[in-house]
Amino acid sequence: MTMRYRHTGTLAGRGSGDAHFREGLRALAFDARGRLHAAGDAEVKVFAASGALEHRWPAAGPVHAVGIAPDGRVFAGGPGQIEIFDGDGVPLAAWRDPERLGLVSAIGFSNGDVLAADSRGRAIRRFEAGGRFLNDIGLQNPRQDFRIPNGVLDFDVDAEGIIHAANPGKHRVERYTPDGRLLGHFGRFGGPDPAGFSGCCNPTNVTLGRGLVYVTEKAPPRVKVYAMDGGLDSIVATGSFDPGCKNMDVAVDARGTVYVADTVRLSIEIFEPEGAA
Amino acid sequence: MILRPAHAVLAAGILVLVLWPQALAAQGVQYERPVEVAPQQESIGGGYVTPPVQKPRPRAYWLEIADVVLLAGALSLAVWFVVARRSRVLALSLSVGALAYFGFYREGCICPIGAIQNVAVALTDPGYSIPIVVTAVFFLPLVFALFVGRAFCGGVCPLGAIQELVLLKPVQVPRRLDWWLGLLKYVYLGLAILIAVQPAVARDFVICRFDPFVGFFRRDGFAHMMAIGAGFLVLGTVVGRPYCRYLCPYGALLAWCSRLAGRGVSITPDRELDCGLCADACPYGAIEQNRAVGKDCLYCARCYASCPCETRVEVRV
Amino acid sequence: MSDGISRRDALGKVARGAALVALGSTAGFLVRKADGQVVWQVDANQCVNSRLGESGTPVCNRCTTECVVSHSAVRAVNHFEKCGRCYICPAYYNIRSAVDERGLPSEKLCPRDAIARTPIGWVDPDDPANNFYEYTIDEVKCDGCGLCAKGCMEPLGLGSIVLKVRYDLCVDCNRCAIARTCPTGAVVQQLAADALSIDWPVHPRS
Repeated sequence: MTMRYRHTGTLAGRGSGDAHFREGLRALAFDARGRLHAAGDAEVKVFAASGALEHRWPAAGPVHAVGIAPDGRVFAGGPGQIEIFDGDGVPLAAWRDPERLGLVSAIGFSNGDVLAADSRGRAIRRFEAGGRFLNDIGLQNPRQDFRIPNGVLDFDVDAEGIIHAANPGKHRVERYTPDGRLLGHFGRFGGPDPAGFSGCCNPTNVTLGRGLVYVTEKAPPRVKVYAMDGGLDSIVATGSFDPGCKNMDVAVDARGTVYVADTVRLSIEIFEPEGAA
Repeated sequence: MILRPAHAVLAAGILVLVLWPQALAAQGVQYERPVEVAPQQESIGGGYVTPPVQKPRPRAYWLEIADVVLLAGALSLAVWFVVARRSRVLALSLSVGALAYFGFYREGCICPIGAIQNVAVALTDPGYSIPIVVTAVFFLPLVFALFVGRAFCGGVCPLGAIQELVLLKPVQVPRRLDWWLGLLKYVYLGLAILIAVQPAVARDFVICRFDPFVGFFRRDGFAHMMAIGAGFLVLGTVVGRPYCRYLCPYGALLAWCSRLAGRGVSITPDRELDCGLCADACPYGAIEQNRAVGKDCLYCARCYASCPCETRVEVRV
Repeated sequence: MSDGISRRDALGKVARGAALVALGSTAGFLVRKADGQVVWQVDANQCVNSRLGESGTPVCNRCTTECVVSHSAVRAVNHFEKCGRCYICPAYYNIRSAVDERGLPSEKLCPRDAIARTPIGWVDPDDPANNFYEYTIDEVKCDGCGLCAKGCMEPLGLGSIVLKVRYDLCVDCNRCAIARTCPTGAVVQQLAADALSIDWPVHPRS
């Protein structure tokens, strides 16, 4: 274990105010300027680095995924569609495909292509920048698919364009090329061992940052950091969440501060690293 | 209770769940499940078909109706066997049959004694209703009692029947003691109703819970209740039907109705014999001054069996 | 003399008639608001072992200990159409136990070993983790202790295993002894038709 983390703050929460969420908090993503985009309900909220709400705009339906393209456009995914906004929230386009975008639960970008995780189809779909469908990832044969009894498929893309996807039913994080080829995976069922993943389906969400893999689990909810080779780097938090949380999205900023969505309290929990051991 | 390894594992399992490193969760968490996460038959493949979940059905309703019909039939038979035919043998056979069916087969449920509580709640709680079958089971014996006395006690009630069958050497209970003890059933009636009409969370049906004989009928029950039941039966070998006479709350209601009965078991000493053998034979203290007392008569027909008169006595109405 | 007798008789008849009217009208009132056949059932929405989001609380086994029938009439029932068919089932395995060499937990959760785990559908001969598994509860062995229901409960599992009263075993007490002590009042009386048709705790949709 190389890093210790401290719970340093909470953003938002359940409520009807501008900076609060009414019925869901499902997606977190950082843009290049370090602003945190948080989405749930039918809205995207943008928080500044200080934690204050900077901007918010409505979406057409409940938002389950947020991705910020390299050019700054904001992609918000939901049931059957992906809506595309510019950096200020002006709607630009919408991709609707009930077949391939059954429920978009994660959005990523790889070498100009747009990747969308479809929880209903249990696959990651790859589209061209213009929206043309290219290929599926994760459907090689009937049994190499994603097992998601938790209901959410999450992934992130690293700097080389490799997709790191959580496969909760198999208790591992898998690496795919954008063509759909499985490169490798790490993780195992650990039982009581915190280095492994517990329960029936963990990890539920994954994000990449600073060369490390950040994952969240449910029952009991916790956040862990792994190196790319699968070695446990640190445990960010175990007790700071409502025990009933499920499918907590996670985002990491440039300084290594971890932001986790508490899906029961509808708040964003902030954990800062305390320096290398 | 003997401790088995299973208990240790159960305790360990509970301990594990207790020591789970979490605080108590928020109440009423709403979970969304926007996608169907359970794998469908197509995903599982291989010709798999989702098996149906078994749903055993409760007892067919027409059987409940049949029980009410049988109850009415048994009541009528009791009246015929005891009042018309005056036969102890027939009365005893009916008791055995009732014990077998209403007691051991139906396991004592449903019975009018317990139905007192249901009726009391149904009358006081506007949100509570009882099935028609329960109403019928409660009122039928009372209507019979209004006309011919406690026919239910003699031929039909399995709790009475089981006590009737163990009564081997009846001993007469002194009158004063019998009267005082008899008050207990009114106290029990009042208490049972009071506890039953409490709000739903505090409500309890004590008549059912403290039924001493249901453990025998079910061949299964808590040890202390079986012991109490056995105690009643042991006492019942010498004291005639102690539960019926001193505790049964329904007996209290039947006694009230029986006071108004015109027909029923009666002794008519107009053949100047006045031997008093009937009074000695009655284990329930139901004959005073050579006259049958309707409210205490439990339809056992021992008086008729002990009467030395060859011919039948006229029934005075 | 005959006057006295007939007056007593007349009074008796009047009293009987009045009592009959009283009984009859009470019976009529009760019949008017009568229900159909009622049975006892566990409401999984309220049951502590199935209630959403309360993971961490100890398992409640009153369904086993309180039933007047020695081998309780309550059983855990797996609703197959809602089951995740997971490789590692938190209701089948004790997921806090040590992991054995196959990568599975070494202990099972059920103290009576009443759950059977069988691979279903297309079976991968190389990797058992690739298969779906059916978890069937043997109702002869099960006694409704609720450990598996607690293990299956959201968010740990999918909540497909719930405790249910089995009508071929329940003696249909006037006042269910389990209902009396249930900490959340989850054991309720329902009309027989409803109790058989409602068999799934509702998951509110977002």
